[in-house]
Amino acid sequence: MGRRIAILVLPLFLLGLGAVGAEKYIVASDIPWAPFEWASPEGDYLGFDLDVMRCIAVLMGYEIEIRPVAFDSIIPAVVLGEVDIGASGFTITAKREEVVDFSNPYWLSNQAVLVRRDAVFKAPDDLFCCGHKIGAQRGTTGADWVQSNLVDKGVDVQLVLYETYPEAVLDLVNGRLDAVVQDEPASQQSLSAYPDDLKILGVIETNEYFGFLVASGDPKGLLPKINEGMLKLGLRYDLELPVEGQWKVKFRILPDSPWFYLVQAYFGPPLEKVESAWKACIGTLYDETFAPAERVFNFAKCLAERASG
Amino acid sequence: MAAVDWQNLVQGIPSLLSGLLINLEILFGLIALGFAVGIMIALVQVYSPRPFAALAVGYEWFFRGVPEMVLLMLIYFGLRQFQVRITPFIAAVIALGLRSSAYQSQIFRGAIQAVGRRQMMAALSVGMTRLQAIRHVILPQALRLSIPPWSNEFSSVLKDTTLASAIGVIEVFKKARFIMGRNYALALPIFMVVALFFLFLTYVGNWALGALERRYRIPGFEAKGAGERF
Repeated sequence: MGRRIAILVLPLFLLGLGAVGAEKYIVASDIPWAPFEWASPEGDYLGFDLDVMRCIAVLMGYEIEIRPVAFDSIIPAVVLGEVDIGASGFTITAKREEVVDFSNPYWLSNQAVLVRRDAVFKAPDDLFCCGHKIGAQRGTTGADWVQSNLVDKGVDVQLVLYETYPEAVLDLVNGRLDAVVQDEPASQQSLSAYPDDLKILGVIETNEYFGFLVASGDPKGLLPKINEGMLKLGLRYDLELPVEGQWKVKFRILPDSPWFYLVQAYFGPPLEKVESAWKACIGTLYDETFAPAERVFNFAKCLAERASG
Repeated sequence: MAAVDWQNLVQGIPSLLSGLLINLEILFGLIALGFAVGIMIALVQVYSPRPFAALAVGYEWFFRGVPEMVLLMLIYFGLRQFQVRITPFIAAVIALGLRSSAYQSQIFRGAIQAVGRRQMMAALSVGMTRLQAIRHVILPQALRLSIPPWSNEFSSVLKDTTLASAIGVIEVFKKARFIMGRNYALALPIFMVVALFFLFLTYVGNWALGALERRYRIPGFEAKGAGERF
């Protein structure tokens, strides 16, 4: 009996040891948050963030493993060294920079206020009163915004926090919330999932830059690789004159670049089309007969053409 | 539900099943761990000198009293503070396994006490050592008596495996949430599918344990002396 138990338990422990010894970088991402990261019905992890991570890994010659982690647990996981990179539409904030280091920015986002289509509000200001319930995802800048600009200032609204963004949207559709505050691209995605039920009431100009994050001090030297990888993918920066002493970064995407095609593939086409395109194209990214730069270009172009075609 | 929702639901089944496989792996790991530790705890509680028995009672008290979710966090994140790195899967097996060992120990303790002290005295009187008596006389009967309450524990821990999602194990519940997040219309049907999976597994598991009980039944065997300490 004892031996049989040992036979059962031993492989489990070896499995654990094996996973620790593997030499590749672990990318943590909060799934689902389409179009930046989500799981297809078949269980593939895809999305803009994840494919940027995959492409950079191919270009810079390392391997990645994508691990779904709840949004508010990603930074703790990075700090504890349990994962190496956080790629989950993280806004670069001073508060987060105290505990982690960010890559160069890769996306500019604002917060959208999502309400039911039949709502009587004409502008966000009509909504921010009267005990209305506003949903947001725990740990996001949207939740922060509601807390610090409404709740803390004594505006009569109630902030309801969710572990994932889709659950907040579901409660909005079912009438348990009056609004959901979330980044614009994700809100657009919800809108296309519920065209008859939802509308975007307005956009709060928060001018948030997304960045990939690693542990403070970048112990594994990943940030130079990620930044160089983004350049190689075709993302450039123009600096605008400082506003209130802060330089404003403007993105410039090189035409006919992998970055250009990834944006085209992920921001616009419906999820089903992106998923079938991804399934058809992902092989080209790992087709060793081509050089890394070619593989990345072929993959991004294939994805954009099939998703929007 | 629209046609595309049905299609997504069907597409999601293989992904859910691969998640369910993880639940089963956790189940076998935790049951094996719980069984091995549980029997030891029960034997120590019944047969060892008072101080050791008291330690075993303390162990049982701790692992029965702390919520499973807290145990998962303690083992997974807590060990990390001491640079002990284990995967979420192993952490789930250990946390849920130790919790189960505390419950299983009480099942086995009750069964051992039900066999009665007179059998131990009889075994010793014919020259067996205590270990021999436990191995050849007490446990064969106690394990038979344990099967009905043990099937209860089986059903309970089977469902507990979904808690592992809280520390990042991508099992069936987590996969169902991915699918719901991808297509909101599937919120109800996808969890109904998950519920059916577990109803089926509970049924099969309990049927198998019932068959085991019938297979090893001894006609005329009855329990005496429950609640005694030897």
